[in-house]
Amino acid sequence: MSESNEFNGKTASIATGHPFEREIAPIWRLAQTGDEKAYEQALRLIAQRLRAFFRRRMNNTPEDAEDMVQETLLAIHTRRHTYDDAFPVSAWIMAIAKYKLIDFWRKHGRRDNLTDEFDETDMSQQSIMAADAATSNLADIHKLLNQLPDKQRQAIELIKLLGLSVSEAAQQTGLSESALKVQVHRGIKQLAALVAQKTS
Amino acid sequence: MKTEEFIAFLAKGSGVEPAPDLSHKLFWALSFAGLLSLTLAFAIIGAQPVEAFMTPTPWMKFAYTVSLMAAATFLTIRLARPIGNCRVPSVCLGLVLLAMLAYGAYHLAIAPEEAKRQTLFGQTSLLCPWLVLLVSLPGLFVLQIALRTFGPVRLSQAGFACGLLAGAIGATAYALACPEDSPTFVAVWYTLGIVLTSAVGAISGRWLLRWT
Repeated sequence: MSESNEFNGKTASIATGHPFEREIAPIWRLAQTGDEKAYEQALRLIAQRLRAFFRRRMNNTPEDAEDMVQETLLAIHTRRHTYDDAFPVSAWIMAIAKYKLIDFWRKHGRRDNLTDEFDETDMSQQSIMAADAATSNLADIHKLLNQLPDKQRQAIELIKLLGLSVSEAAQQTGLSESALKVQVHRGIKQLAALVAQKTS
Repeated sequence: MKTEEFIAFLAKGSGVEPAPDLSHKLFWALSFAGLLSLTLAFAIIGAQPVEAFMTPTPWMKFAYTVSLMAAATFLTIRLARPIGNCRVPSVCLGLVLLAMLAYGAYHLAIAPEEAKRQTLFGQTSLLCPWLVLLVSLPGLFVLQIALRTFGPVRLSQAGFACGLLAGAIGATAYALACPEDSPTFVAVWYTLGIVLTSAVGAISGRWLLRWT
């Protein structure tokens, strides 16, 4: 299994044969070279895999599970530079997911998982609630953005939300392209910290 | 926000995967940790006279601590990222430790009966492990802060590796100031100091290495 505890050579080679690895590996390789569409597709596939992973382990708290999906996606995004080609990408992803799950339990206590909050609701209601939760999950991104320093917020708004290219955004703000990239990167890290605060 | 929108948000303008900068950062962290250990060792104990370095004794110590440093660096790199294979570095580490313990045991065995106590305990055995720990701690902190940026997931193990590395650096610095000359002493008391630092690293790693 790709989510086994040890990511040594043996489990890594098993993970290569895993359907998820076969699906994600070629897309991820495209994404590494800067293909944004491929990256988006990869993240979507990863989100599916993560959803299954977290739902199975946090089945009493589906809204937390969806938060965890997003938090892990964010971690994957901000830690992209830690991926090592020598290993299957699925093993890397699941190592981060596992870390995030343990981190969640550490913050909330494992017992949270066993509370009775949903005991009186049947499964169909649960999935409705999960769908509900997914739409109102994290606070509106703008609310979070407002907590960032102006430069970071502006860089993220222009590039991530308005969809300007880095050079267009550079012209508009008068900042250099590399400075803008740094601001976006810092802003996303800062967002990650805000999201983590929110879920703890 | 829906996960779909969130994904689009992350992907937009994401660009080429950033290059890993592990060796670069680790180099600076190592240098800084070394500088801190050296400063502390010189400030607390003071360097040995230059003539001491004409004898083989300090070089025996350096051979041990520097090999240990290399193996610990190797292990730390493997534990720094979410996935990594630790088998080879662990074996290297074990070999270095075994070699030194065997060398120390041999020296104790060949020492004449009346000198065995001195060979094992020297003059400073009570102090040595604690001083090694003391000169290693600031470096341990620096290394752990640097390591956190790479996303280690096995926090205790990564913390342990950092402690081993910081301990080996500290022991190297301490060797410049330490007057003892028996390999048995080094094999036992230096190692104990390094193990103490590793234990502190394993415990503090659970907190200091946490990332979000």
